[in-house]
Amino acid sequence: MLSAAAAIEEGVRIPSCGRALEGTLTYALGEVRACALMAGPHPFLGGDMQNNIVRAMADALARRGVVALTFNYGGVGDSEGGPEDWPEAMSAFWRDGTLPAEQDWCEDTKSAIAWLRNSCDAPLLLIGYSFGCWTVAHHLQESYAQAIVLISPNPKRHTFDALSDAPVPLLVVHSDNDFTCSVSEATAWVDALREPKTRIQLSAGDHFFRGHEEEVTQAVLGFLDDRDILRDE
Amino acid sequence: MSADRTVVFLTGATGFLGHYVLADLLANPNVCCRVLLRPPIQDSTTRLRKLLGELGLNLSALIADGRVVVVEGALPESLGVDDIRGADLVLHAAGNTVFHTNGSSEPARTNVNGTRELLSLAAEAGVGRFVYVSTAYVCGAMAGHLPEAFYPTVPPVRNDYERSKWEAETLVWDWAKQFGVATICRPSILFGDGESGRASAMQGLYVVARATEILARAMDSSESADRRQIPLRILGRADATCNVIPVNWAAEHIVRLALHSSGASSVHHITNSDPPTHQEVKGWLEEYFDIGGGRFSDASWPLQDANHYEDLFYSLGNVCLDYFRNGLTFDSECTTGLPAGMRLIDGASFARCLKYAQETNWGRASGERTDFRSRRGGFDPAWYFEEFLPDAVPRSAVAKVEDLTAVVQYTIKGAPGGSWVSRFRNGQLEETHAVPCNLQAEFEYLLSYEDLVDVVACCRPLQDVFFHGSAEMTGDVERALKMVPIIGEFIKEFPVVGEKDSALAC
Repeated sequence: MLSAAAAIEEGVRIPSCGRALEGTLTYALGEVRACALMAGPHPFLGGDMQNNIVRAMADALARRGVVALTFNYGGVGDSEGGPEDWPEAMSAFWRDGTLPAEQDWCEDTKSAIAWLRNSCDAPLLLIGYSFGCWTVAHHLQESYAQAIVLISPNPKRHTFDALSDAPVPLLVVHSDNDFTCSVSEATAWVDALREPKTRIQLSAGDHFFRGHEEEVTQAVLGFLDDRDILRDE
Repeated sequence: MSADRTVVFLTGATGFLGHYVLADLLANPNVCCRVLLRPPIQDSTTRLRKLLGELGLNLSALIADGRVVVVEGALPESLGVDDIRGADLVLHAAGNTVFHTNGSSEPARTNVNGTRELLSLAAEAGVGRFVYVSTAYVCGAMAGHLPEAFYPTVPPVRNDYERSKWEAETLVWDWAKQFGVATICRPSILFGDGESGRASAMQGLYVVARATEILARAMDSSESADRRQIPLRILGRADATCNVIPVNWAAEHIVRLALHSSGASSVHHITNSDPPTHQEVKGWLEEYFDIGGGRFSDASWPLQDANHYEDLFYSLGNVCLDYFRNGLTFDSECTTGLPAGMRLIDGASFARCLKYAQETNWGRASGERTDFRSRRGGFDPAWYFEEFLPDAVPRSAVAKVEDLTAVVQYTIKGAPGGSWVSRFRNGQLEETHAVPCNLQAEFEYLLSYEDLVDVVACCRPLQDVFFHGSAEMTGDVERALKMVPIIGEFIKEFPVVGEKDSALAC
């Protein structure tokens, strides 16, 4: 296994619905223990694949032998597509908080999962942050993932019924100071989800975990270690 | 109005075609124009002044001479009969080109309701002449050689835009039966100025050209791919035509038709009788961008097995494929006077238009990058918030975010720093004040002077300085986050740049 400094970042293009998405594969030379798809926050809330949590997770996973794929949804960064009428879409989002394009971004996640599956023959992990929690959960069953991790999900904005379709290990990480979802709301929501599940509440940071990325990545890696997903051979 | 002058009431004067129409009207010394401009009129007048200035006209002087009168209003709701009374003719060039109905009920709101309202006011004001700028593609999917005639039944339209233009034509045609003479002008696809290459909007064929540029850039960055053997399927027939026309030529004929009526209502195609074929356009694009290899294909969109290069190309180009596939021809009296052998669009004029498009970043930044004004020998946040934003925001896409209503505070830490509060209502920036003031912000952005400089110069996204830098958001954080991409789009549209050695060079 190479050191963290030797992690490789490789730019890739992911076909999705007739357009190309910008992506980055982060990995280290050596044994591949798993591959992970990282879905990031909402594009209309400033989200892209350079997000602090997305980036920190990809780097931490790569150091543990995981090939991590991060990507930009359509219309973000160098990814093609996005809403045709930007002011109209922005106006609707400002008014209602939802967008038809969210379905496209959900499809982008599906395309990224398929691309990763074709590129890497190793157990798959799905990891979502904020809006990305919804998009990965949506494709859990068809992805045949070994585990799913949701960081700062917002169950008040999106439904997560799809989690019930595949009873793989589930980890929910949330802050005790998240403006999108209070501790009591997060607790009640996780309590109602199917097993097997784990909830980790961090007394650090907020929805964004700025400056607390290490705590988040340690929580996720600990969960994966406990389930022998990243075990040393 | 004076007895020996023709007074034209013009809509759409700040549009791609409309400002050329206005310039051509004013080329006739016996014409005065009453120009409808959207509120706030100061901003619309500024835009019109800039557009006419690029054509060599001085709007302030024209207003002072009484050749131009600006009228504040918007169709369909805020225009009165007194605004039109006294005009000799109405030239309705305003239109909305959105293909599919959106949340603002466009394109029907402007194209149908706006035309209906204008016709009603013209009738009430006793104006007996109405010139309507429609589109040649009101024909929808009709095939063959199309006559210069009104379509009494709805053509096989392919989108809401075509339908709205046909409905508007019908309103105009019916109005003329009772109130006067109607002239319907149907231009085909507008391209840049045939002489200068200039264009103030870049849709249609420009989108195909932009997609080609993206392909060329992909080739530039590839060490292994052969740029002359790009495996690209071009959806369409090589011998089909692209009916594009120079915008200045279209304006010239619309004005000629408007000012010289035969006394009977009529329909006119303003189209290209010798349009370039797809094969020719492909050749021009390949020569300009120094690439090759595309081949015409009968495949249909979307391509199920698209390769990487096709994904790249059609991510931009698919929206206008319909208009570059059919081999329609149009009856057009306008082209009878063209000298033998002269083509409206040829390889040289095409290249001029592409050069202009590239130089203006494909119209995405309105061709402008703004030099900052230094008050204290460096970038001045007070200038940015108090002077630059009120000037630029009304001209930006932010002004089209109709539901944006918020009070925002920006606090710049360090020196030179300070705090400012802006109130946005329905996308319009209503006021900006230095703190302390009476405005109560819903949320606040706090960032360092250095990060502000990086952000406004488009060197670093705002979300990046939030997630990885100095920026903080307080108050209603969710709304603050929602505003981040709006600010990002504005900065891309109106980046502030400094001199090479200044803090704003990047």
